[in-house]
Amino acid sequence: MSTWRSPLAKMANSRWFPRRGIALAAGLALHAAASAGPVDDLLQQFRAQGAGNFTAAAGAQLWERVALDAKTGQARRCALCHTDDLTRMGKHATTGKAIEPLAPSVNPERLTDRADIEKWLTRNCKWTFGRECTPQEKGDVLTMIRSR
Amino acid sequence: MADAGNRVRVWDAPTRIFHWLLVASFAGAWLTRDARHLDVHEFFGYAMAALVAFRLAWGFSGTRWARFASFSYSAPAAWKYLAALARRRQAHFVGHNPAGSWSIYGLLALAALSVVTGLVALGAEKRLGVLAGWFGYRVGDIAHELHLWLAYAMLALAAAHILGVLAGSFADRENLVASMLSGYKRATGAAAGVDAKYGIAVMIVLALGLGALAYFHAYPPAGGAGRVPSLALALDLAWKNECSGCHLAYHPSLLPARSWSRMFDEQESHFEEDLALSDASLQHLRTYAARNAAEALASPVAWKMATTIPAEAAPLRISATAYFEERHARLEAATWERVRPSACGTCHRDAEAGTFAPGAMIHVDLEKSAGQDGK
Repeated sequence: MSTWRSPLAKMANSRWFPRRGIALAAGLALHAAASAGPVDDLLQQFRAQGAGNFTAAAGAQLWERVALDAKTGQARRCALCHTDDLTRMGKHATTGKAIEPLAPSVNPERLTDRADIEKWLTRNCKWTFGRECTPQEKGDVLTMIRSR
Repeated sequence: MADAGNRVRVWDAPTRIFHWLLVASFAGAWLTRDARHLDVHEFFGYAMAALVAFRLAWGFSGTRWARFASFSYSAPAAWKYLAALARRRQAHFVGHNPAGSWSIYGLLALAALSVVTGLVALGAEKRLGVLAGWFGYRVGDIAHELHLWLAYAMLALAAAHILGVLAGSFADRENLVASMLSGYKRATGAAAGVDAKYGIAVMIVLALGLGALAYFHAYPPAGGAGRVPSLALALDLAWKNECSGCHLAYHPSLLPARSWSRMFDEQESHFEEDLALSDASLQHLRTYAARNAAEALASPVAWKMATTIPAEAAPLRISATAYFEERHARLEAATWERVRPSACGTCHRDAEAGTFAPGAMIHVDLEKSAGQDGK
């Protein structure tokens, strides 16, 4: 079998299968698959609301922002419950309940349910910053979480 | 006072084995009176019931000195015996003496009543046992209280009985405890000994032994915890998923319906959080909570909550209710520095099930468990 060549290699070197065409086709297929996720759906929605150019860096900045609660003066930020390292377990600041890691690389269930994402973004932005996050902020922070 | 009586068998084996097994059962029941050992306590109760039932039957069909007819004395007769005993002028009785007889009847009656009140309380409060669900929680509460009084009365009478046995032994110069073990006593005149009836004694032991095997082997462990099966309260998946995001999904039976209603009305400020529940979700949760709130009386805890929270109050914090404080009063203040009151699951295995059975509690070593709160 010393002269055996894989079908893929044969295709790649064949006159009838242009390499660039395969690369393009593969790229389009992958892109199409990635767009089917809830995060991308939300990003599309945010873009429609005027936001754009979501970056993980901007999301990380939001993550570190400290806001003081109007009623109690407590200093609140995302890391208070979720910690700065999204791959680690977090702890609820009020109840002490253990929180599963946010990073999809460690916890594949994260960012898979759109309604869930929206609910927690609303609830937690309100608690942390005293207001809903803007579409830009939401897009940035989702982009950041997804990258961890 | 030279008593030339010979020693004959007075107590047959079934009577003796009954006596000592009753002692062991009472001691066992007493030692397991903590609610966390209810399953074992219950077994000793059944054992006592069986033993007393046997004794009643044997009192009419047993050997001579075991029959009630041979130790039926009036109250004045008992008093006379005690007065004579005090002056060391008591007569020697082959069987039970008059005073001793009364304590026997008293102990048998107290044992029987303890079993009955125990069964009523068990059936009413825990919905377990042969009288499960026969009575409501209020009756169960009363029966439980009676059960405690009877237990203490029985302990007092048992102590008096032991004192009497010791006094009688010294006065008669006869070891009555040894007699109840060997069966032999000093007989006067032509009193003949009775048959041992070992066969029946063996059957009694076998019956209790097999009963214990069946009882302890047949009980399914409740969630891997104590062997007391818990009540099954209605659970809801949406409730669990929604509520356990931040804390234990407290069962609705822990607060009255008006509390839950108020909580959902004020969902925008739920302990400083805006729950922002969707209308569909809210409707579902409201319905489940209303149906299974404390007023439904699905558990002893629910009953206590429903009857102790003032009608004009709609508390939102379970750990601030009078019943919660009463049940946790025994804990040192230092406990709450290590464990949040909201983290019920730290000590209660069945917290999410909502039943809070004492048998399902775990002992938590607070020194070692730092950081494990909030479960």
